[in-house]
Amino acid sequence: MRGHAARISLFAVALLIGLLGVGQLRSQARPTQVSSLSAQDLSTLIETLTRGNRELRTGLADTREQLREYRIAGSQGQSAIDVSREDLRRISAFGGLAAVEGQGIVLNINGELDAIALNDLINELRNAGAEAIAVDAIRVTAHSVAVQGPLALQIDGVNISRRFVLRAIGSPDGLTAAIQRPGGIISQLKLVVRATIDLFPAESVGLPATEQSLAPTVGRPAEG
Amino acid sequence: MTGRRPRAAPLVRPQWAVSIALALTVIGFVGYAQWNGSPDRSQFATSVQQVLARQVTDLEKEQEGLRAQIVEADTEVHQIQAASTTSSSALAELNRQLGVARLAVGLTDLSGPGVVIEIADSNRTVPDGDNPGNYIVLVDDVRDIVAALWASGAEGIAINGERLVATSSIYGVGESILVNTAFLSPRFRIEAIGPDGLLDRFTANPAFVGRVARRIDVFGLEFATAPADNLRLPAFVGNTRFRWAVPVEAVP
Repeated sequence: MRGHAARISLFAVALLIGLLGVGQLRSQARPTQVSSLSAQDLSTLIETLTRGNRELRTGLADTREQLREYRIAGSQGQSAIDVSREDLRRISAFGGLAAVEGQGIVLNINGELDAIALNDLINELRNAGAEAIAVDAIRVTAHSVAVQGPLALQIDGVNISRRFVLRAIGSPDGLTAAIQRPGGIISQLKLVVRATIDLFPAESVGLPATEQSLAPTVGRPAEG
Repeated sequence: MTGRRPRAAPLVRPQWAVSIALALTVIGFVGYAQWNGSPDRSQFATSVQQVLARQVTDLEKEQEGLRAQIVEADTEVHQIQAASTTSSSALAELNRQLGVARLAVGLTDLSGPGVVIEIADSNRTVPDGDNPGNYIVLVDDVRDIVAALWASGAEGIAINGERLVATSSIYGVGESILVNTAFLSPRFRIEAIGPDGLLDRFTANPAFVGRVARRIDVFGLEFATAPADNLRLPAFVGNTRFRWAVPVEAVP
């Protein structure tokens, strides 16, 4: 009888240890659930998601407008050609296959920027809403990445000198605020690189098309 | 008179009682650690945070809905364009060019050989006094992996199903990561399509070797790579229409 009670007690104790152990492990796990983020992180996330959703709504409205135009045009004729031509212009601009111009900012950079710093700067501009970016005369595409070459920093195989210009098209105010905010990318870079970075808003920034072929060589359109 | 004191009965310590005592001690320690390890729990539960977290969840749901509607509308556009290729040679040529451009910039599902890379937080116990942030995947780790893949000749990359395009950013919010405004959680699965030898070039690339490879080694971040014969990367889903940038060249 006593042996039976002991077994039950041991089972209960083992169960309790197991439950507590799992709880402990879970509490040490990374807080990836939204509910476990700090208020500050949540605010940043809300700002980013709100901006993203606004863009998605705009994109959706435009695509529906395009559909409406196609329906009005029918499946042939000049109108349908115009709609497709406009679509090609838009997609080419989006991916860097066509030259673009518009308002934006210009960053004059002079000094020893390493590959990580330049990639971080480009990433920050993208996150701030830059629609198109160029480093000197090199249009930045999805594939473009700064690497340390044998003699100098390179993007798309082209050497970048110590003094170069980074241009981005987007809201000048929005881009400037994001780049220059306290604790932002320029503040961070000033701590780790020896370079001067001067930022100017610009009424008109012209960016060339990429000179790289972006067509995949081994990738192909997925079917189905 | 010397009375003999009755001999005390020997203390009975059955083995199970010792086991339970030990187990209770363990429970005590674990319970304390559990309690002590969650000092921010009350902070998490503040009403402000709950409201903000609810807002984030609502925005994520809204985003999911918008993306589904975009996919639907895009599919309709593609179907119209595909149907029109038989009706006019000029239109057919234009729509062929459209297909090529979409493929090049990441707006079409892409399939082909490549590599799969997975990275996740370390399973090691954080030593006392060490920074727990060293043992989790940071946004820089993901960026370095992506940079190394592009530099190694990748033709297309997706992170947890988020296709990277010219406007994509990989952004850290606290310890979380946003890609194309989608909120991603570890483990991070990075798929890349590219020519033969992509994996070898990637593991030797300075962007990988410089920081993230060292962190994997020193802090035990979970990391695995595998070549793949036939990957399928989803097309980018999002806004592809510019507000500020205007194409300069006209399409002939």
